[in-house]
Amino acid sequence: MTLPGHHHTLEIRNLSVRAGGTEILSDINADIRCGEVTALVGPNGAGKTTLLLAILGLVPYAGEIRFCRAAEHGEGAPRIGYVPQRLDFDRNAPMTVQDFFALSSQRYPVVFGHSAKSRRSARESMARVGAGHLISRPLGKLSGGELQRVLLALALRDNPDILLLDEPVSGVDLSGEELFGDFLGQIHSESRFSLLLVSHDLSVVGRHADRVICLNRRIVCQGATTETLTPENIAAMYGSDAHLFRHGPADGHVHAPPAAGRDKGKRD
Amino acid sequence: MESLLGSLFSAIGVLLPFDFAEPLFMKRAILAMLFVAPAAAAVGVPLVHFRMAFFSDAIGHSAFTGVAIGVLLGVHPLLTMVAFGLFVAWAIVLVKGRTELSSDTVIGVFFSTVIALGVAVISAQKGLTRNLQAYLYGDLLAISEVELLWMGILLLAVFAYLLLAFNKIMLVGIHEGFAKSMGVPVRALEISFALVVALVVTTAIRAVGILLVTALLVVPAAAARNVARGAASAFWAAAVIAVASGLFGIAASYYLDTATGATVVLVAAAFFVVTALGREMFRR
Repeated sequence: MTLPGHHHTLEIRNLSVRAGGTEILSDINADIRCGEVTALVGPNGAGKTTLLLAILGLVPYAGEIRFCRAAEHGEGAPRIGYVPQRLDFDRNAPMTVQDFFALSSQRYPVVFGHSAKSRRSARESMARVGAGHLISRPLGKLSGGELQRVLLALALRDNPDILLLDEPVSGVDLSGEELFGDFLGQIHSESRFSLLLVSHDLSVVGRHADRVICLNRRIVCQGATTETLTPENIAAMYGSDAHLFRHGPADGHVHAPPAAGRDKGKRD
Repeated sequence: MESLLGSLFSAIGVLLPFDFAEPLFMKRAILAMLFVAPAAAAVGVPLVHFRMAFFSDAIGHSAFTGVAIGVLLGVHPLLTMVAFGLFVAWAIVLVKGRTELSSDTVIGVFFSTVIALGVAVISAQKGLTRNLQAYLYGDLLAISEVELLWMGILLLAVFAYLLLAFNKIMLVGIHEGFAKSMGVPVRALEISFALVVALVVTTAIRAVGILLVTALLVVPAAAARNVARGAASAFWAAAVIAVASGLFGIAASYYLDTATGATVVLVAAAFFVVTALGREMFRR
């Protein structure tokens, strides 16, 4: 899976994020390698989403985040695709999937209709994630998994150099396993973007990630997946209770501890 | 300019050959409503999408202070009202970005402060109270030609802004981070949209008054949601409902001898009720 040369798409140096007087992330040093799948794992409140937001430039941080673009991807700043964990938008909003695509692919307001180009790109992108039938449905009427596909289709539309994927807590929406099993693995092997995946399902990480970054407000450990996801490191990250959340060895699933109160509160 | 307004008045006379549109002050009122209602409805659609109704209400109530400052300084209250509304909008966005408090708490603090400040200044100046009536309930029938021109310019400015920013605003309303990843300058849009809302709200106060101004933005957009499925139909339905409410409201207030602003808002509310009922029936 590893490409020769190990270009770094993203270099994070001495990054820290403070909010309201507390340090949410401190002393983060990590590299996201070109074309690889890097998994970001850690307990709830570890700062995984915050790290993604820092990369997107949406939270202020100290330290440095450098983007490098592999020569074969052309010149200019790298394109970052982002699939948020969930959308906290108004479910009653009059907006179809096609409208949603047009918002970012045509200059003139969607109130004047959709351009031929935006219609074509929406059709192609949605077909790519196996969800072409959703195109004229209202956004608010989609299930969590369907919405996830729409977001992924949009993020992939502009051929990103880096895709940031904040996976929903497994079992609630479309799980990482389904995403990978259905299409993400294939799309990734075709397009070779760098994928930074926040995952709650360690079995997905074990199967699909090249490298793992274990985060709990600081880097607990990082490296190649097979060397990093050891029982000792998992215990260090989630606490010694982590074994409680392991299923029997037969099904091979190792789950991160379930959502703590904070995350549950956000879901309605 | 005079001739432009003159030809618009004669156009109204031709298009609305009814008693209520006969007097010149009614023609002014109708033209003002035709300028303000579509502008309010057009920003109302993204406003509702953003859940910013409370923000709009706070800006509306800042007019208490804005008008008081104008009378104290001896300048046209419309000027100080708009300027102070813009200042409050900017201050709210600034404070919201720098605190952990939820946005309705921040807006709530500003909301009460600007009312208290206005009432304090007004109560100290006897004779101001009478002046304030026109701003509390609106004074559509006493719109001056200068104000009319300002409203016309506002309508054009709002549409020019939305032509550039509508798609991006809607994206930010769905998810800030996602919009950012799509290359949208999130912060600049939030600030500019807040200022445009403040501009529309403070101008529309002359038509329907401080107490009802938010209705002019929110009710047409809310009613449009009952009938629309996509973004385009929602926008145009809101604009049509706003203009229809404006015209029917002015006509009704003429024959019923009721306050114009309040009647306009009541007609818009009736549109909301009818479309909501229609939606329920259609679902079954």
